[in-house]
Amino acid sequence: MKSKALMMTTFGAGLALILSGCSAADSSSNETGPLAGVDLTAGSKEFTESILLAQIASVALENAGASVDDRTGISGSATVREALLSDEIDFYWDYTGTGWVNILGNNTDDVPADLYAAVAEADAANGVTWLEPAPFENTYRIAVPTAFAEENDLVTMSDAAAYIEANPQDAAVCAAAEFINRDDGLPGLQTAYGFEFSEVVQLDLNLIYTQVGETCSFGEVFSTDARIVSNDLAVLSDDEGFFVQYQGAMTLRDSTLAENPAIAEIMAPISAALTSEVITALNGQVDNGGEDPRDVAEEWLQAEGFLS
Amino acid sequence: MRLPTGCVPDVTTPDTATATRDRAGMPGTAQVLAAAPRGPRTRRSLRGYLVMPAVLAAICLALYFYVSAHELDSIEARSLNSAALSTAIGQHLQLTLVSTVLTLVVAVPLGILLTRPSARRLRPIVITLLTLGQAIPTIAVLVLLAVAFLFLGFQAAVLGLVIYAIIPVLLNTMVGLEQVDESVLEAGRGMGISKFGVLRTLELPLSVPIILAGVRTALVINVGTATLTTYINAGGLGDIIVAGLSTNRVLVQIVGAALTAVLALLIDYLAGVAEDFLRPKGL
Repeated sequence: MKSKALMMTTFGAGLALILSGCSAADSSSNETGPLAGVDLTAGSKEFTESILLAQIASVALENAGASVDDRTGISGSATVREALLSDEIDFYWDYTGTGWVNILGNNTDDVPADLYAAVAEADAANGVTWLEPAPFENTYRIAVPTAFAEENDLVTMSDAAAYIEANPQDAAVCAAAEFINRDDGLPGLQTAYGFEFSEVVQLDLNLIYTQVGETCSFGEVFSTDARIVSNDLAVLSDDEGFFVQYQGAMTLRDSTLAENPAIAEIMAPISAALTSEVITALNGQVDNGGEDPRDVAEEWLQAEGFLS
Repeated sequence: MRLPTGCVPDVTTPDTATATRDRAGMPGTAQVLAAAPRGPRTRRSLRGYLVMPAVLAAICLALYFYVSAHELDSIEARSLNSAALSTAIGQHLQLTLVSTVLTLVVAVPLGILLTRPSARRLRPIVITLLTLGQAIPTIAVLVLLAVAFLFLGFQAAVLGLVIYAIIPVLLNTMVGLEQVDESVLEAGRGMGISKFGVLRTLELPLSVPIILAGVRTALVINVGTATLTTYINAGGLGDIIVAGLSTNRVLVQIVGAALTAVLALLIDYLAGVAEDFLRPKGL
């Protein structure tokens, strides 16, 4: 009896140790950081990159003393934005192109040269701040199987337009509903380059990557999606500069930033380090490697020396 | 008696259901076997037949004026024009009709086979397998076909729809055949009618109302589910709905969803009319 009680006590103590050890390792929050005692809520859209970016920001802000509530993975661009405006979340990463077209309701014909500045300025009227954008760009691109690209010397969209002109029987494109219907997607692309895909195969976005080279020679992809690499696809460069820029930037309400100006200082160097190569590799760790977005975020921040 | 709501379009008369269980002699499967005999009912009056089409026409008209009142932007105009809409409706009807016909071709003969005494042993196995087919959501079947077999388009969509719609028709066929009063069959055999003759002249005609209820269920299921086939390049009204969803155009979503609903109600109405006229006299 006595030994059993002793065992239980030992077990309990051990458990407590393990738990405290875990939490100490988990929350790298420090009591004296510039954001000590600040409560924030992180939001994101539903796809890997958006969740990953929110986790990177969360880990960095926690490192500065904030406690961050996780509400990442909200479905739909419009919903996340609404959540930000209605105080449900305090920050999320959006894209300059999305801000210009979807949030501010502009047309794609009149895209300003400095898209970030234009979006940041216009959105200030809604009480939303766009922090300095990261150098990476997650934009629409057309991709083809690497072997197919080499065989036919396809490097740019103009090459593709010429190929399609000459081989209309081999010019099907796999694309998702949004791309097919957006002005800054398929309709505009075809007009800009003066060609027409022979067939548009409408698929769910996630089915496209495996179908390029099967059902269709061409496919719509997101430029930082790691499945481009894992499915051995080659991205065609947009030599006419048709696609709107989709640079990632963290957005938050003005009031949140006014109360915690340190957020901008903390995020600036991190944002600057997120190049297309970096974010593609990180996306790949989640999408292809099956790792948890938060772990990937923490590892990367640690390795880059952003955590104190 | 648990009634799976999915395959019961109408009120079940309790005594038929009980009779089914008794005759089937297998409470396990009998639980799933729920039928929907409409019971003796006179045909509707002419005016009764006109109500539904009038309501649907009014809805379409209202929708038309509602859309016309809006200044459409380029994205909305891409989906909300007569060419795009009629293509979508045409594809949707094709998907629904082809998949329903195929469902009938598979399910009705299978139902007849499985109610023959010699096939009793196969019943639980076949029904379990097909119920599994219905338990898997159609979107999963469609994606599986696309990812694992790189199978896309109209044919893949029809396959996905058929897998989902087989069970209600099969079960209704079986219940329909089994609710036929044993004494009627007895009398038939007593008159020297062959086994096949009994099936053809007594069992099948007497089970028509219940089989038709299953067909009607399959049609309505297929109209709704066919909206999902947009994800594997099979078109249909799902194209319109998803175009609206992905570009955040509420008007487009409303039109796509409303047209799907109108189509479902119209098809259900037509199947109801067919039911009234195909039901053997005296039932």
